Amino acid sequence: MTPATSTHLSEEAFDDVLIGLGSPESEAHLAVCQDCWRRVNAFRSDVALFNSASMAWTESQPIRLSPTSRKTVHRTRLAFVSWAAMAAVLAVMAVAIWHHNGPAAPPRQATANVSQTADTEAQIAQDNQLLQAVNAAISPDEESPIDEYKLVQTRHSHMKTHHK
Amino acid sequence: MAERAGVISELDDINELVRLHQARIRRFVTCSTGDPDLAETITQDTLLRAFKGRESFRGDCSLSTWLTGIAINVTRDYLRSGRFKFWKQLKATAVDVHEMASFLPSEGVSAERRILAKERVKELYAVLETLSYNQRTIFLMKFSEEMSVDEISEILGMGVNTVRTHLHRALKAVRRKLGATI
Repeated sequence: MTPATSTHLSEEAFDDVLIGLGSPESEAHLAVCQDCWRRVNAFRSDVALFNSASMAWTESQPIRLSPTSRKTVHRTRLAFVSWAAMAAVLAVMAVAIWHHNGPAAPPRQATANVSQTADTEAQIAQDNQLLQAVNAAISPDEESPIDEYKLVQTRHSHMKTHHK
Repeated sequence: MAERAGVISELDDINELVRLHQARIRRFVTCSTGDPDLAETITQDTLLRAFKGRESFRGDCSLSTWLTGIAINVTRDYLRSGRFKFWKQLKATAVDVHEMASFLPSEGVSAERRILAKERVKELYAVLETLSYNQRTIFLMKFSEEMSVDEISEILGMGVNTVRTHLHRALKAVRRKLGATI
């Protein structure tokens, strides 16, 4: 045993070697001390095994969309549905306007006029339903202005004040 | 100059960026946070941020080092925002270390050596889990990402001696667990 190997590296000196901050004395010791050199190699080998296994494992994991990406996809779909609904509403409105302002129709019987009025009201109700559906699709989480500003409640309280 | 131009073009192509760096960043964040699902989200955020901020890459460090720095910042954001706590509480997923160890290359290795190697991988991962977040992250930066102490110090904004202390503590824990061979 040479003087350089008479004592092994201290834990701190050994760790500094592993970290890459070994002193020239430590490096000189490693060059001649089989035990310390074996320990350094054992550590490096364990780390290499870990790196190899963890990388291979990571590469094998399927890539899924993150919640953020899923949200983006969901928003895109929602936007598409909203635009489709909006287009349908516009088409219905265009047909209604065309019916209303269309070419002069020949005079009709009174019964026919009543029937036309009934159809228009049904159409209006249907349009309103569609508009509400579009509104809900565009901003499902948005609070209604009536609820948000408590308009009904305010009006009631306002009325109460007046009654007093 | 040509090398920098290559890196810039690598950054300009998001698909190339993902292809070349996603697995490495994901591995780093998975081992650092212990949560593969969270790591996936952080990795995607990291690559997106890198792509959006590619103009700020000055080329004074390697692209992997720069990306690791971004990954650490994104993880920190998660820590600060409490999202990390949410994930930890939820604990939807955890690293399956048995599965991970089974991914060791088997070519030219005897069955006995393979079993021993798997045990070492599991033991090392078990030690990493016991370390503090900083110790674990610094250990991974040094020994998995192969960064220098100076690079770690710069990315984390820590003094070199603080980095060194974290590494010493981590190595002490590893030595305690892995036994006399180290």
